[in-house]
Amino acid sequence: MRWLQRNIRPEQIRELSLLLLIVVAVLFFGSLIDGYYTSRTFNRIAASVAIITVVAVGQTLVVLTRSIDLSVGSIAGCTAYFAGSMAAAHHDLPPLAVVLIAVALGAVMGAINGVLVAWGRVPSIIVTLGSLAIYRGILIDYSGAKTVTTDSLPAWIVDLPRLTFVTIGNLDIRAMFALAVAIVVLFQIGTSFLNVGRQFYAMGSNPDAAHLIGLPTRRIVFSAFLLSGALSGLAGFMFLARFGNITVEAARGLELQVVAAVVVGGVNIFGGSGTVFGAMLGAIMIGTLEQSLFRLQISEFWRDAILGLLILLAVASDAVILDRLRALWARTDLKLVTRAEAEP
Amino acid sequence: MKKILLATVAATMLGLLAPHGASAQTTIEPGKPVEMVLLPKFLGILPFDQAHKGAEEAAAELKNAKTLQYLGPTPENSVAGQIEIVTNATTQGVGAIMMSNNSGDQIVPAAKAAHAKGIKVVTWDSPIPSAEGEDVFVAQVDFSETGKVMADMALSIMGPDGGKFAILSASPDAANQNAWIAAMQTALKDPKYAKLEVVGIVYGNDQSEASYSQALALVDKYPGIKLIMAPTSVGIVAAAKAMQDEKLCDKIKVSGLGVPAEMLAYTKNGCAPQFALWSFVDLGYLSYYTAYGLATGAIKAEAGASFKAGRLGNYTITKDPTRKEGLRVLMGPFSKYDASNVEAAAK
Repeated sequence: MRWLQRNIRPEQIRELSLLLLIVVAVLFFGSLIDGYYTSRTFNRIAASVAIITVVAVGQTLVVLTRSIDLSVGSIAGCTAYFAGSMAAAHHDLPPLAVVLIAVALGAVMGAINGVLVAWGRVPSIIVTLGSLAIYRGILIDYSGAKTVTTDSLPAWIVDLPRLTFVTIGNLDIRAMFALAVAIVVLFQIGTSFLNVGRQFYAMGSNPDAAHLIGLPTRRIVFSAFLLSGALSGLAGFMFLARFGNITVEAARGLELQVVAAVVVGGVNIFGGSGTVFGAMLGAIMIGTLEQSLFRLQISEFWRDAILGLLILLAVASDAVILDRLRALWARTDLKLVTRAEAEP
Repeated sequence: MKKILLATVAATMLGLLAPHGASAQTTIEPGKPVEMVLLPKFLGILPFDQAHKGAEEAAAELKNAKTLQYLGPTPENSVAGQIEIVTNATTQGVGAIMMSNNSGDQIVPAAKAAHAKGIKVVTWDSPIPSAEGEDVFVAQVDFSETGKVMADMALSIMGPDGGKFAILSASPDAANQNAWIAAMQTALKDPKYAKLEVVGIVYGNDQSEASYSQALALVDKYPGIKLIMAPTSVGIVAAAKAMQDEKLCDKIKVSGLGVPAEMLAYTKNGCAPQFALWSFVDLGYLSYYTAYGLATGAIKAEAGASFKAGRLGNYTITKDPTRKEGLRVLMGPFSKYDASNVEAAAK
């Protein structure tokens, strides 16, 4: 027990138990659905998880700083549509330019949220609830009811979802899933070891203390929203590639999945605790549930209800179980310290 | 008074002269100011925009001094948004509301309130299932005809040996899609279609991503299906893209109701060899004529009333045979598209 407590933090226990839950869910659905354990199921889940994960990474940063970004679905929808119509109009645009357009537009939309929250002092839930509606409204107006259609897009975008990064056994790891994993690794390292990354935690754990020790608290909040917007923009591009036909409905309701992924993944909604890796596990859990419920043909209302239930359970278990674990850990730490002092 | 008398006399005479002797053709008098609201299921997709164009065209012809208000909810808020818009229009006291109902019978209290205030409620594209609070439904095509057209397309795509197929619809609340699917299942009872079997219905809620995932889920759940029938313009393209992405177009075809401009690529590459639709421009145009005629008192909402709707010609209000209650004006006809004519229609 003491070994366990010395080497593993309560948050990691939480992530391990989520991993266990994912395995249980997969076994459960596997027993209900014929032909579940195939590369096809894996690809379905991986493709939907990729998009949720990328947005969830940005959302994690925002939630770490005690805010929330509800506009991610609208940002992804706008960027998917805009990047799509750009690519459709200029087939000779290099792929990187299209991706950068999407990321840049997302970053601008995120920056607007960030300015309003950090300097305008408006609560983030209000700001992003507003921009959720405003960005979607802009999209409806800009689109003029036209759909971006697959046949108008250059072939490289349409073929992107099928592009395979590596093949392990008979599992294809598709490029988009690999990209999502790369982003998780990048941000996990950034938030664990870099100064700028740790600042998100400092800000969320105790904003007053962060301010007192001289951290640029407003700039931290701003950059969380900026990154969330930019990553939503990237997700918008991935969305464009995956679905090809983009209407004003694109990525509607993504925020529910993303917030669910983040809190199920153990990121504390009150800020300061949780990891990017956990958020990815959350996304995998949500993706597995969603795709499997599709297969079982459970009605949409139940799927949303189950998602909602998961969020509630995650937050409640955070409050009850994790707090106890933390207290237990803290007591042991204290004992270890006193014992160390007692021994000459 | 004189005018009315004259009109009555003229109408009676016309009635006598009419070949079927059924009823008089009312000519709708232009130039009266009527506040009118065109309410689609939601904003931002092509078919509704085309209906708006048609309604604007009719408004210009009828010289209505009041501008047509094109109001719709955002996609995520369709049901509640429609109820809200009808309620607001009632408060403002407009003359007529033209609505493609996406709220099932949930809209009834709002529609009844509007109706009680003397506002004409005309539904188009999708009716109020119980017909309560509704004056007339302008039907794009006969709903049993839609069922037959879909059954025919299924038969022609799957061939005489038939096989299993599945349906990808819009939302479970959509009155029009539900009626078409029911009509198709009735049509399928004909021995001609004995070898066709519907194995499942799923709902993509007119959202690309949900429809896409649902199409793939159908393939996973029923590996033997040969066709996905999607009676919704959003669902049909999403299903076609899904089959193309999974390289399944050789085995599983897609058909249903779609907009030519959006279907072009899939019809040409064989993923969706046949589909059908009617003109949404004409539907908007006819709805406007009907609503304007009702609001100005030129037409009465009763079976047998007949009127001339501009360039589309003469129409008669009848009892709606596809619902228990309610009146309808039937537009028709269907246009069927395949590789031979889709390109011309897409322009």
